[in-house]
Amino acid sequence: MDNNRQGAKASYVALVFFIGLWMLLPSVVRRFNREAFAEFQAPALHLVGKGRDLARYWELKSRTPEELAAASRDLARINAALELKIHALDDARKENIRLREMLRYPANTEFLTVVARVSVRETSSWWQRIVIRKGRSDGIRPGCPVVFGDRVIGRVSTVHLTTSEVELVTSPGFRCTAFLEGDEQFHVVHVSGRAGLSLSAPRAMVSIIPLDYHPPAGQIAKVMTTGLGGVFPSGLTLGTLEDGAQPTAEKHMQEGVLTPAKELNFIQEVSVLVPKYPTAGEILLTPADNAKPDEFR
Amino acid sequence: MSLSWAWLILLLATYPWLLGVDLLSDSFATSGVTLFISGAALIAPCRRLRRWQAVLFAACVGFLFEALRPIPDGALALLLVLVAIYLTSHRDLLRDTPKMFLAAIAVNMLACTAWFFAAALAHTKQVPLLSLHFLGQWLLHVLLAIILATLLLAPLALVQNFAMDKAGLPQPDEAA
Repeated sequence: MDNNRQGAKASYVALVFFIGLWMLLPSVVRRFNREAFAEFQAPALHLVGKGRDLARYWELKSRTPEELAAASRDLARINAALELKIHALDDARKENIRLREMLRYPANTEFLTVVARVSVRETSSWWQRIVIRKGRSDGIRPGCPVVFGDRVIGRVSTVHLTTSEVELVTSPGFRCTAFLEGDEQFHVVHVSGRAGLSLSAPRAMVSIIPLDYHPPAGQIAKVMTTGLGGVFPSGLTLGTLEDGAQPTAEKHMQEGVLTPAKELNFIQEVSVLVPKYPTAGEILLTPADNAKPDEFR
Repeated sequence: MSLSWAWLILLLATYPWLLGVDLLSDSFATSGVTLFISGAALIAPCRRLRRWQAVLFAACVGFLFEALRPIPDGALALLLVLVAIYLTSHRDLLRDTPKMFLAAIAVNMLACTAWFFAAALAHTKQVPLLSLHFLGQWLLHVLLAIILATLLLAPLALVQNFAMDKAGLPQPDEAA
């Protein structure tokens, strides 16, 4: 027993030494360690996601032919309506390009869309995130916007080989600029996730709303992306100001609670918008030796 | 199979439980709570593994939890290593079933507190550490950690003991 206790003392000393070493180690070592453990879990997360897909498949397979025929008919109608919309939007796009060329206005960031299924959701007081089944091998990069239709879901925070972690709009680390519906002067407001929420629906905060802003009468104001940060395209819906805006304690601005545009905890599929060319932020973070001037557009 | 790899076999046997609890957290995603069992997963292995094996096992369990969450690197893993060293040098604390349950509750509670505080440090501006709101959140997570440790220790230890038997590890009395 004495040998055992003496061995324990040596172990404590070794642990203290290791903790010191761990704190002094370059962050790349810690990042490698985190990456290795994330990759270890990736196959299991894929399996979980595929299991869910299979369950959904069997659930759909159990539907009656009448139900499927009705769904197919509805989809055909929606498709027809969308085709008309595409034609209208195509005309607007051409007009937009022509006007931008006339004004020499900088081109919008172009995105490739990568559709990804959700593997697992992770929520706590300090984070709200989802893990998706697409990663570095599919071209996803950290910081890419994640959307569902025209609604913002969040932003890619960490990318692994075949999986990625997405920070949701309501996560405390999320930051974004936005416009408010009904604000004719287009003041830029600030959207940030909120920490410390449990047993309640996730929310984010909309701050620096001007005192003279009033939501449109009789309706809930939408909060939309500005496109100014270069991360999110403009005009996407972040959510709504369901409870309106209230003055801050200092009475020089207003703030409000943002209700996300999509029920984030039930989402099963998202689209990751991958910029076709490196964003300004990515170019700034690239070491000077590797930077390619051609990538600036 | 060499005994040296017993900790890895044990980790592979334990991982489905850790994943299962993550999936349980997933199904409670709307409530914003994280369920946690990594602390209780150390108890049965610490009765039979050698100290260095228990240390490796504890570190891996901790790093697996941290890998997909924004928790400061090593905050949980190093605490679990410390607990593993303590438990393997005080095996009498895990001698019988009631003591094992007590240890599982204590370790799971301590480990849950460690990751909760480590993650909270980044948000003290929004939620001050000494506020009622913070304490409420912490108590909720700790309470869930205690409940899970109590409910899952027996089946988890059963699976872990089976894996350790198959790996040819000595029984607890011989290991001490």
